[in-house]
Amino acid sequence: MTPEFIDELEQRIGSEAVVRDQSELLTYESDGLVSHRSRPGVAVLPRTVEQVRAVVRACHEAGVPFVARGQGTGLSGGALPHPDGVLIVMTRMNRVVEIDIPNERITVEPGVMNLEVTRQVTPHGYYYAPDPSSQVICSIGGNLAENSGGAHCLKYGFTVHHVLGAEAVMPDGTLVHVGGLAVDSPGLDLLGVLVGSEGTLAVVTKVMLRLLRRPESVRTLLAAFDSTDNAGNAVSDVIAAGIIPAAIEMMDRTTIRAAEAAVQPGFPDAEAVLIVELDGHEAEVAAQFEQIEAIFAKNQGWGVQVARDDAQRGRIWMGRKAAFAAMGRVSPSYYVQDGVIPRSRLPEVLRRIRQLEQDSGLTIGNVFHAGDGNLHPLVCYDDAVEGQAELAERVASEILSYCLDVGGSLTGEHGIGADKACHMPKMFGDDDLATMQLVRVAFDPEGLCNPDKLFPTPRLCGEVPGPYRAHPAEAAGLAERV
Amino acid sequence: MHDAEGRRTGAAADAVDGVVPRWVAEPASQEGVARTLAQAGADGHAVLVQGGGTKLGWGPRLESVDVLLKTGRLNEVVAHRHGDLTATTQSGITLAETNERLSAHRQWLALDPPDRARATVGGILATNDAGPRRHRHGAPRDLIIGMTLVRADGVTAQSGGIVVKNVAGYDVARLLTGSFGSLGVIVDATFKLAPLAEASSTVVVELPDAKVAVGYAVDLLSRGLTPAALEIATDPLRVVLKFESLESVTEAQAEEAVTLAETHGGLGQLLEVDAQNEFWTAHERRVFAEDGTLLKAVVLPANLPSSLSWLDEATASRGLSYVLAGQAALSVLHLRLTGPVEKQAALVSEWRERLTLGRGSVVVRRATAELKALTDVWGSVGDTFEVMREVKRRFDPRATLNPGRGPGGL
Ligand SMILES: Cc1cc2nc3c(=O)[nH]c(=O)nc-3n(C[C@H](O)[C@@H](O)[C@H](O)COP(=O)(O)OP(=O)(O)OC[C@H]3O[C@@H](n4cnc5c(N)ncnc54)[C@H](O)[C@@H]3O)c2cc1C
Ligand SMILES: Cc1cc2nc3c(=O)[nH]c(=O)nc-3n(C[C@H](O)[C@H](O)[C@H](O)COP(=O)(O)OP(=O)(O)OC[C@H]3O[C@@H](n4cnc5c(N)ncnc54)[C@H](O)[C@@H]3O)c2cc1C
Repeated sequence: MTPEFIDELEQRIGSEAVVRDQSELLTYESDGLVSHRSRPGVAVLPRTVEQVRAVVRACHEAGVPFVARGQGTGLSGGALPHPDGVLIVMTRMNRVVEIDIPNERITVEPGVMNLEVTRQVTPHGYYYAPDPSSQVICSIGGNLAENSGGAHCLKYGFTVHHVLGAEAVMPDGTLVHVGGLAVDSPGLDLLGVLVGSEGTLAVVTKVMLRLLRRPESVRTLLAAFDSTDNAGNAVSDVIAAGIIPAAIEMMDRTTIRAAEAAVQPGFPDAEAVLIVELDGHEAEVAAQFEQIEAIFAKNQGWGVQVARDDAQRGRIWMGRKAAFAAMGRVSPSYYVQDGVIPRSRLPEVLRRIRQLEQDSGLTIGNVFHAGDGNLHPLVCYDDAVEGQAELAERVASEILSYCLDVGGSLTGEHGIGADKACHMPKMFGDDDLATMQLVRVAFDPEGLCNPDKLFPTPRLCGEVPGPYRAHPAEAAGLAERV
Repeated sequence: MHDAEGRRTGAAADAVDGVVPRWVAEPASQEGVARTLAQAGADGHAVLVQGGGTKLGWGPRLESVDVLLKTGRLNEVVAHRHGDLTATTQSGITLAETNERLSAHRQWLALDPPDRARATVGGILATNDAGPRRHRHGAPRDLIIGMTLVRADGVTAQSGGIVVKNVAGYDVARLLTGSFGSLGVIVDATFKLAPLAEASSTVVVELPDAKVAVGYAVDLLSRGLTPAALEIATDPLRVVLKFESLESVTEAQAEEAVTLAETHGGLGQLLEVDAQNEFWTAHERRVFAEDGTLLKAVVLPANLPSSLSWLDEATASRGLSYVLAGQAALSVLHLRLTGPVEKQAALVSEWRERLTLGRGSVVVRRATAELKALTDVWGSVGDTFEVMREVKRRFDPRATLNPGRGPGGL
């Protein structure tokens, strides 16, 4: 990064919006994945779309890479800066542009926090459905880029189901409007591919979201189980009964204890707890609630707690959402893995993880979106112990291979980023990746927009790609031919 | 003469939109699709993909077809993972057949576009077409979780997977959904499914005008009712509701809907259980199965009443008539329009002028060649057109696949 280029940026957007001081730049050297660090060449903090365009145009003219950053809570290194590039920090673009209750829409700038969207519309009886555990600290722009999920995505879908439109700056500085406020827009579904593209296609400067009305009735219950097998079977039984709850979350003994130590939600001390939330029309919720209680009983559930009021409901969810952070109470460091399995394979995969825990000697906590089969094993380690950090990474990778073995995915919500780019060939073949690259080059022919993320490159991964697996539909063996 | 890909010379019976294809290929496997496309590419032939052929008349006028690729032999449900509520089907199977198979485990692919006995999974995906229960379950783009596609150059690729939650890599499956066969041929697709409901109830409510009808729909939802379908239809003007859940629940909600209708000055009727299917078939046929131009219009929900009253005036003053059915809350409207062709074209352009970009659209789906010559079937797609064109160019550099007939005219 040349000082002349930084001067140029200051010229174009004002020195107040440019961070060039080396020690200040340290603030941005990693996102939530702290094992990957890199100081950006320079950081900019635009307040307007015109400033974003000016920066991107300057980069395009000079061939300088750029990386967008939201709140930096990402867990896959998606916002890891490029050492010779510009980090575009979007936090100052945090205005709520328009609340449109009659149309059940809200338009926000990307720096607005996820929970802020719900706060804005709560007085009107509305909310924004995707609720990542990090919702207090993560931005809508980051959510869009990662296609973030949350506990309530089982019934309501992920970010991609709630974003209707976006304004974005293309890698050559052109401004485009993708989708809109209406539910359908003619043309190719560019929005569908922009969501979840991890900041590699464009810089998003405005987002149009769908709002949901608060359901009439919500019931939350929690039950304890003496084994994760029983809890996993209970999850399968719920799905088999044709019930799609708003959420089904599971925590194991390690994460229950951590949550207790941190926020005292009053969870039973058990091998596993399930949290199930039902919402909708009162009569429906009441009927399904009875079915769930029966399913829990059949699978030897005990210690059932039913939230009597919002306060108790809040406490249960606080216990669940604090689980990652609470691991800090029981372990000096931990690695958060994110993998997906077909939900019917939960008991078996959890047993393999248990075995891995014994073999490796590292504690592995499990807290996850059980209804979706989205696992979050937390691999605990101590940096002070020589070699443990590397061991933890190997253990975490091993768990991913269990996910792929049963036809699952490398990531359910945290993204590929810098962290898992080299794992991509384990899930996708060369032709699959080359097809994704067609999208990439259509948006960004010069490869300046968040390079070195998502795709495996020889520079990142060496020349030896992982073993390619057959399409999960064939390989999983769980396919029942009909 | 058939070769390995089921390729033969086109005959009059193969005509699409009045155009007889030079060749017809009906491959029985993914590899066959790949070879067909590779061969067509080498020969410099344009390929038109056909599923059930129910919508091939949609889109701009067809000039000529070198190769018509039919997916009819790709007609298997590859896997039904009922414990996971997912299924993988080949693209040439019809929706009706798919759901017949999935019902063995009381599940379904929750899509109900018209003509389900003929429309294929591939065609429904390629058009992102949905029916009344889109209100609850979403459109094909909301349900797709994985896809195998063959690119124009004959290369086969996969996107997504078989799990319901998955953010690994770009969502190419979603990009192909709604691409009208312009980016690749869909060979198979994996979906998240829904449980079949134990019971359903249908309520038909006649209301005096559009404003009251929309007010009723809004009130209903704000009271926490959870219909699976919430349709607005003409003529006469009515709101049609389908409740699907446990029997006690659908009955309770249906009754509430009927009672609420009175307070809005409407007349609600709960249909007999046995009369429901017939009613919904007729509801669908009134728009789709009869002659006339088919339009799909999308507006903002708050503008629905004013759009409908404008439509009444604008058609009446031009001597046009229309029948409409659509999803009220989503404000997705399907219209069948009849009357003088120039007037139809004028109506479409005036409607488009009223809708600023991103706040609604009017697409001509089925139309006579005469109307297609008078109007742009897609309307403007806005400032992303260049990006779309670039995506098309990268996926299909020689413009082999459905050239000129992709969305936005790609
Ligand atoms: C005259 C006419 C009458 C109709 N009547 C009705 C009706 O009564 N009710 C109703 O709702 N609907 C009707 N439709 C619409 C139709 O039912 C669609 O809803 C259906 O989803 C289309 O599926 P298909 O298999 O027939 O697709 P096709 O019509 O064969 O194809 C539709 C589009 O998808 C593309 N395509 C098809 N398969 C693939 C694939 N595997 N990969 C990539 N691209 C593919 C084609 O190239 C084309 O662009 C009608 C359409 C027409 C033209
Ligand atoms: C304690 C904790 C709990 C979490 N729980 C969840 C959870 O439950 N579910 C979940 O899905 N995730 C979870 N996450 C991960 C993380 O919060 C999400 O990925 C979130 O969406 C990231 O938002 P951010 O604003 O921090 O983005 P960043 O980390 O700053 O960036 C993430 C990616 O988005 C891109 N990006 C950001 N803004 C833009 C923009 N305007 N335009 C284009 N690209 C942009 C970046 O380039 C990067 O690739 C959790 C993280 C933590 C630390």
